[in-house]
Amino acid sequence: MITLKQIEKYYTLKGAKSYVLRHIDADIQKGEFVSIMGPSGAGKSTLLNIIGMLDEPTYGSYKFMDQELSSLSERKRIEIYRNHIGFVFQAYHLIDEMTVEENIEVPLHYKNISSSERKSRVADLLDRFQMVAKKDLFPHQLSGGQQQLVGIARALAPQPLLILADEPTGNLQSAQALQIMDLFRQLNKDEGITIVQVTHSEANAAYGNRILNLVDGVVTNNS
Amino acid sequence: MFRLNLKISLRNLWKNKGYTFINIGGLGLGLASCIILLLYVSYEWGYDKQAPDFEKTYLVYNHQQTSAGIFSHPTTPGAFAAEVKQNIPGVYRAARFGYPKDGLITEGQSSFRKTGVYVDPDFLKIQGYHFISGSASSALAQVNAVILTRSLAKSIFAEEDPIGKTVTLDKKDALMVTGVIEDLQKNTSITFDYLLPWSLLEKQDPFFKNQSWNNNFCMTLVQLESTDLFTKADAQVRQLYNKHESDKVSEFTLYPIAKWHLYNNFENGKQVGGKITQVKIFLLLAFCILLIACVNFMNLSTARSEKRGKEVGIRKTIGASKKALISQFLLESLLMSVCGMLLAIVCIELSLPYFNRLLGTGLEVNYNDLRYWVLLIGLTLFTGIVSGSYPAFYLSSFEPVIVLKGIGKSSKSAISVRQILVVSQFVFAVCLMICSIVIYQQLNFIKNKPVGYQKDQLVEIQVQGNMLKNAGRLMLTKDKLLQSGAAKQVSFFSMSITDGGNNTFDVRWPGKSANDRTLFDFRSTGYDLVATLGAEMIDGREFSPKHADSTNIIINSAAAKAMGLKKPVGSIINWGGTNLEIIGLVKDIVIQSPYKKVDPMIIYYNLEEVNYILVRLDSKIPVNAALQKINAVMESIEPGFPPVVKFADDNFEAKFQNEKVLGTIANWFGGFSIFISCLGLFGLALYMAEHRKKEVGIRKVLGANPIQILTLLNKDFMRLVGIANLIAFPLAYLIIQHWLEGYSYRIELTLIPFFIALVLSVCIALLTISMQSIKAVRANTVDALKYE
Repeated sequence: MITLKQIEKYYTLKGAKSYVLRHIDADIQKGEFVSIMGPSGAGKSTLLNIIGMLDEPTYGSYKFMDQELSSLSERKRIEIYRNHIGFVFQAYHLIDEMTVEENIEVPLHYKNISSSERKSRVADLLDRFQMVAKKDLFPHQLSGGQQQLVGIARALAPQPLLILADEPTGNLQSAQALQIMDLFRQLNKDEGITIVQVTHSEANAAYGNRILNLVDGVVTNNS
Repeated sequence: MFRLNLKISLRNLWKNKGYTFINIGGLGLGLASCIILLLYVSYEWGYDKQAPDFEKTYLVYNHQQTSAGIFSHPTTPGAFAAEVKQNIPGVYRAARFGYPKDGLITEGQSSFRKTGVYVDPDFLKIQGYHFISGSASSALAQVNAVILTRSLAKSIFAEEDPIGKTVTLDKKDALMVTGVIEDLQKNTSITFDYLLPWSLLEKQDPFFKNQSWNNNFCMTLVQLESTDLFTKADAQVRQLYNKHESDKVSEFTLYPIAKWHLYNNFENGKQVGGKITQVKIFLLLAFCILLIACVNFMNLSTARSEKRGKEVGIRKTIGASKKALISQFLLESLLMSVCGMLLAIVCIELSLPYFNRLLGTGLEVNYNDLRYWVLLIGLTLFTGIVSGSYPAFYLSSFEPVIVLKGIGKSSKSAISVRQILVVSQFVFAVCLMICSIVIYQQLNFIKNKPVGYQKDQLVEIQVQGNMLKNAGRLMLTKDKLLQSGAAKQVSFFSMSITDGGNNTFDVRWPGKSANDRTLFDFRSTGYDLVATLGAEMIDGREFSPKHADSTNIIINSAAAKAMGLKKPVGSIINWGGTNLEIIGLVKDIVIQSPYKKVDPMIIYYNLEEVNYILVRLDSKIPVNAALQKINAVMESIEPGFPPVVKFADDNFEAKFQNEKVLGTIANWFGGFSIFISCLGLFGLALYMAEHRKKEVGIRKVLGANPIQILTLLNKDFMRLVGIANLIAFPLAYLIIQHWLEGYSYRIELTLIPFFIALVLSVCIALLTISMQSIKAVRANTVDALKYE
């Protein structure tokens, strides 16, 4: 599903190149649950952002579903991640002015999905995450775990093939973190959704079936 | 999507009430100012355009050669109208009309002092007045007819049908009401409460039957069959004078009536602008104020970008395209401008009566007129799009990676754009401030310029009824006024002391060259004129009962200069074939425009021709008491005629209407623009205080004192205001210098207005910002640092 070849990312500061990522080669198959691990500043998030097309590599080739991304226009790329990729963030990043229900619904608006279809999908997700009673609350009225649930529900709404999660439990207490990680495993096992997560917790990484170890922008261990 | 976005926008507005208030307040005030100015512009623009055929209607202008250049005025000989109608092809209608004149209309016991105009029957058709009863073709067919406007008819006859009823004019002529027309719009040049047939004027005063082409005493309207015929007709009209007279000193032209009001200045026979300049300034002002309000919105929206940035990032990662985001932000700004417009409409409705009183206009928003809706909706869209476009493009261009990481502090470029916007707002505000100060100075300068007589404590009483042409009665009045104690001096004058009037070329003096065409004003008077006016006698004496003065005259300095007389007093000159001796030389008296040089004037003694009694009030008596006494005297002498008493300085003030309007508008809207700019500054300061809370906290922990922090926070803003002043100074100098050059008597520009504007703008800005920075300084340090 994802093929990274010789991906490099660097910034030029006063003529000197400062590398974030070097010679990254990786393959991620459909249905995998991959954890990217590494110390702070290793370039984990940058790699995730490149996979999520929020950032561009300075050099190298990135194929998503056998399409070379650098050859695609901005519009096409948005089209791809709008249809196939869902994001989950450490800080949840819900829209503060929207209710739970509306937050889950927004991505569907951008996919031009009909009103009735939207309603039914949102209702399903609320039901599944047991948030029906909370659908009219605003993010700040929820606990962190609940907010992250909404974040995941939002990511799932467009029925993506791939979920990219950047430290999804970083802001959560351990009990809530467990709940979220269980949810990810379930999504991966039962629905076959490919998941790539960034984490620096061994425990969380263990949920996945493969770990990419990243140190100073270089993959040291791909097991 | 639209509904969701709308909902979110509303929630956003509600959540940030402070910003919403500042934004809507600014936009509302900007829109209200803009609309009021546009209403004023369209009011002026619509002058004399009410008649259905106004485009084919022309006013005849008369361009007369004088020694001081060509003198253009819309006065013609009486024979003109008939001549053009008969002899010039393409002329459909032509009509004479006189200057509006006050008269006393009496019905039974009630009298009304109202303004009337004598007109030819064709005048009604040319102007296309809407008849409520009667008809344009027959209403003025008879000599003793009168047409009333609806409101006059109502005040005289209440609900009765006025047609066929009789009223008397000045208690002499019995007139039958033959028509009632709709009240005139306020923006017409020819205003009246009733119309009288021209034939009545000829009956009242046979002079008006005069067929000579040398005597100009009426105005003439000409209507062509089509505007295409204008060039040909105008060419023929230009020949008319020479056809009848051999001295080649006059030329008539046709001038579109629609241009009469706005393009009313002529210099040497050429049209050189007029009120249109002012109207154009107002139009520009309207849009500048609106832009200032839009700039506010841009500033505040981009300043808050940190908050909105996160939302943009999230929306982008879940699939929003740039287009979708732009339309979302535009929707928000449109929503804001709709709210602003609603506020503006409220402001307009509340303030229009005030402006109408101030400007003497009849501005209104007519909600039944589609055009007003087009204007209102158009302005709303314009404001929404202009103010929303920059924030929309700016915000929607955020990169999710950057803003979601939380390091999305507003980038450098956005700050500089914002700074440029604030500076431009203040440049405009400071310019307006300087201009209004200079306009005020100029107005004061002209007002206080010596006019050659004492304006204060001088009243004019109009001569009416039996006093007219009755020297005995006038002298009796004078005695009674003096006895009453109200008056210190009393004299007479043929015209109001602040009005134009009769003039003549027909003056000869020893050594006059053959082609000298000096125009002399002439006025008749009684005894004690100079003493009453408080004017200055340079040489000789004024008319007095001790002498027989029927062939003596007084001249002013301008006349002495024009005639080049070395020793004017004692010289003999000839006027209209009569030899007259100059017995007095008086210093120039400004009777017409205080902006122009005083024309030569001849004053002679003749009580038969006076129309005004001049009274110098006794300053020992309170003005109100004096007026009461004067009224009592006048009522005892001419019962039934309500006395018309006016103060000379009030009349004089009326000459500055244009400048006053300009000054008032510059003041008000200058004030508004400063206020709007300050709202914007306030919003930015609000944001700044929030943004730098942490920095302030750290600095306080490190031992900075409040003054140092205050200085730090205010410094940046004050620099912007300073820069704005520097840019505004040369700009304002150029603009106001250009404006001043239109006046031959003008003040010298000094540094004072610039200094005042600088101090004021700095103080106002400092006050605005400090409200916020003081809050930031006094905030609890622990709270500030705990944050995040």
